[in-house]
Amino acid sequence: MKRARRLVAAAAAVALVATACGDGGGDEPSGEETTAAADDTSSPTETGEEVDPANYCEGGGEAELVWAHEQEPPDMHLDDPNNNLSITSWVRQSLWDGLYGVSAATEFIPELLAEEATVNEAEDGSVTIDYKLRDGLTWSDGTPLTAEHVKGTFDIIMEGYDAETGEGGVYLIGDRTGYDQITDFTVNSDTEFTISMDKFFAGYKALFSEVFPTHVVTTAEEANAAFPEFEHNGETLPSSGPMLFGEWERGNSMQLERNDEYHGSTSPDVTNAGAACVSGVRINWVADTDAQINALKAGEADMIFTQPQTAFGERISTDEAFTIASEAGPVYEHWGFNLFNPHLSDPLVREAIAYALDKSQVMSALYTPLFGDALPAEGQGNTYWMSNQPAYEDHQAQYLGNLVDEAKANLEEAGYTEGANGIYEHPERGPLSLRVGTTGGNALRELQQQLIIEQLKPAGIEVVIDNVPGGDYFGAQPFNPDAIACANSGGTEGNCEIWDITQFAWVGGPWPGSNHVAYLSGSGNNPYGFANDEFDAMADECDATVDDDERAACYNEMDKFVTTLEKDPENGLVVIPLTQKPSYYAYSNERLERGAVAPDANSAGPLVNVVDYLPAAE
Amino acid sequence: MFAYVARRIMTTIPLLLVGTFIVYALTASVANPLAKLATCTTCDQAAFDRIIDLYNLDDPIPVRYGKWMLGAATGDMGQAPSQGNFDVFPLVMERMANTAQLAIPAFLIIAVLAIALGVFSAVNQYSKSDYFVTGFSFVGISMPTFFFALVLQVIFGVWWQDWFDAKPFYVSQMHMGSIVDIIRSHTLPILTLVLVITAAESRFERASMLEVINSDYIRTARAKGLPRWRVILKHGLRNAMIPLVTIWAIDFAALLGGSVVTETIFSWPGLGPLLLDGIFQGDLNLTMGIVMLIAMLVIFFNLIADLVYGMLDPRIRYE
Repeated sequence: MKRARRLVAAAAAVALVATACGDGGGDEPSGEETTAAADDTSSPTETGEEVDPANYCEGGGEAELVWAHEQEPPDMHLDDPNNNLSITSWVRQSLWDGLYGVSAATEFIPELLAEEATVNEAEDGSVTIDYKLRDGLTWSDGTPLTAEHVKGTFDIIMEGYDAETGEGGVYLIGDRTGYDQITDFTVNSDTEFTISMDKFFAGYKALFSEVFPTHVVTTAEEANAAFPEFEHNGETLPSSGPMLFGEWERGNSMQLERNDEYHGSTSPDVTNAGAACVSGVRINWVADTDAQINALKAGEADMIFTQPQTAFGERISTDEAFTIASEAGPVYEHWGFNLFNPHLSDPLVREAIAYALDKSQVMSALYTPLFGDALPAEGQGNTYWMSNQPAYEDHQAQYLGNLVDEAKANLEEAGYTEGANGIYEHPERGPLSLRVGTTGGNALRELQQQLIIEQLKPAGIEVVIDNVPGGDYFGAQPFNPDAIACANSGGTEGNCEIWDITQFAWVGGPWPGSNHVAYLSGSGNNPYGFANDEFDAMADECDATVDDDERAACYNEMDKFVTTLEKDPENGLVVIPLTQKPSYYAYSNERLERGAVAPDANSAGPLVNVVDYLPAAE
Repeated sequence: MFAYVARRIMTTIPLLLVGTFIVYALTASVANPLAKLATCTTCDQAAFDRIIDLYNLDDPIPVRYGKWMLGAATGDMGQAPSQGNFDVFPLVMERMANTAQLAIPAFLIIAVLAIALGVFSAVNQYSKSDYFVTGFSFVGISMPTFFFALVLQVIFGVWWQDWFDAKPFYVSQMHMGSIVDIIRSHTLPILTLVLVITAAESRFERASMLEVINSDYIRTARAKGLPRWRVILKHGLRNAMIPLVTIWAIDFAALLGGSVVTETIFSWPGLGPLLLDGIFQGDLNLTMGIVMLIAMLVIFFNLIADLVYGMLDPRIRYE
């Protein structure tokens, strides 16, 4: 009950902060001006109390924030595709700012920018985008952060890369999408620059999510050498974020120090207008979930932020010494169907599963006890937009759940008859028995599987578990080369019998355009075998739509192709989004006066608004 | 004896080769370093190629093993991509030093306790104290290590501070500041290892001691009027330790090779969590480096055990 109240209070506070900051619109003042202007203003914090943003740290202690986390990064080179771990990204969030940040509503917000970039579309379809940086931006070494740094970042990413052939490139990065469309980069002044593209790139706000200190690291080779240990020529790389990289004792802990030169955050989720209150952050690597809880309870950690586990709910949520704060992020769990399975190729069967499956029961049994009302009680109904994003629409509202009669009617219409054991059977396809696979070992996921399997039984649909431990699942089942060959060839090549139903999470975000690849015809990331020319054409059309609202609506139309039978009665309803994957975030009330909102949970991490953590007074 | 040692060492080489090849082949056939990119929606081919080159994935497993083994023979075990491309050998040595901080004191305590409890239990067979020690042993043997470790964390880390407003020991991380810090951070993991291993070893010692104290020469010594303690400690214990030495060799090698569960629960930067990382992240170089080290430790300490037999039992000769 207490936790629920806290969640409601936190949500209300976030809304209030967002409303209060909304008036500023695009006229975000510089860091110094922010402080001056904020002198006569006060903002509510996460707990609802009124606080002066300019004197946010007053009354608190000087301690460091200790975060117990299970996974240590191999190194700090975030763009290296062999190092795509959340923890690397979470730490880097506090070290280097980008042009745009992400808010709790999973929307882009100008971070280093003074205002939204201006997109100018020419008649031939080419675009120029004008950017203006905030005044007074500085690196931790005192060097001004200018447009030349953004240009330098672009040069490093594209060094040696041939955009026409898509080959080459010195800088270790898995994806140059968007950067490869920039045909010209012009620095107009210290704070203004313009990029040109032959055609509009809808994900332009996702570009330059970090700006590199190119006054220190000037080439791609230097960047590849410097980023893993975050040092160059024996010196720690300068920061533009609220923290400085400190000492890394591998296997034990990583230390970050406060950046006293920090120019201030512009996030609507942040109250503090200045540098962080905590003297630094120490991340202790604590692999075991129970040990994390023990470390928190023993006072050896102030905060944990990790994958949702049932143990947290049992041991912390009832303890008044801790505040629980869950945030819905851009990652969503889904059930996806193999369209080349004889049963699942029939839209009536897929819809029968959608009818019988009860997302609201999954929510109330597994998620609500842990995360309160951070997620919608009816589950997720969209694969492009998440429930906390303004453009969200529930496209599966017609599948209310537990509609057994409708499910049975569908099966009978498809030619199935109920067998003596209650399982429906088709004269050619045989008994309606399917396999569902996921990453074995994830307790919450496995519980979810079992729950859904039980929901489908009354409708005469048998589903058996076919999991593969950990990350090996992907290569073994849905992304097995033979399975992908089947999906890409329309079922004529490869092996179409490797899997039936898959359960895993896709990552969305403030720009969901990259989600297309999961459904585009012939895409290596489309395991389902979904293919629709109209969908493919619409992907290009949506991505070329300059207006944000129109583009959002366009993505919603695309989602209907895959989550309903409305747009594609034959191949549609290929996925059932189940729920967003929330973050789980708990901190000690005794050691922290105030916590910080962790927006865009699974992408941004708990340090993105680190300036708002306030240690308890000693 | 020198010839015996040399011969033993020579016989270990094919053993090491076969053993490590089996581990390499099994690990390589299940580990998929490309799995991380399976759901990377926009990764280009170059991203895949880099990983293929990094692990020589284009080569068949025997060739990959051969390349790794040739490097390992010259002290180059390759780099560990899961650990920021650090060289495997110094990394493994550094972590083994951390593990040794638990293993050595734990082993010394275990050795003393196992003998003391085993002997005490044997000479007091079927007494209340024997039942007590036996009960303690069975609890230790049957209790999973992770459970006991977590129980210790809760009692000394969480509950104790509620009772006394302070906690005596750290429940996570290795602390190396003052001597007090060292004691506070080392005690619980060492205690976990001690309880679990002592429980088993004390049973071996008890059984061995019972066999010895019921033998004719012990009865003869007692008949000659020697004091009981002298008969037990001087004549009985020496022979009763022979089976225990074999167990010690295996246990000490295993302790130095890292206790995966104990080190993971106590967030100890030792070999155990490093091995787990290597396995879960498909880091063959790292996994093989640690496996090789453990194999060598087992062989080395078994050799030591064989030599100690000769010291304990004069009838054993090395030819």
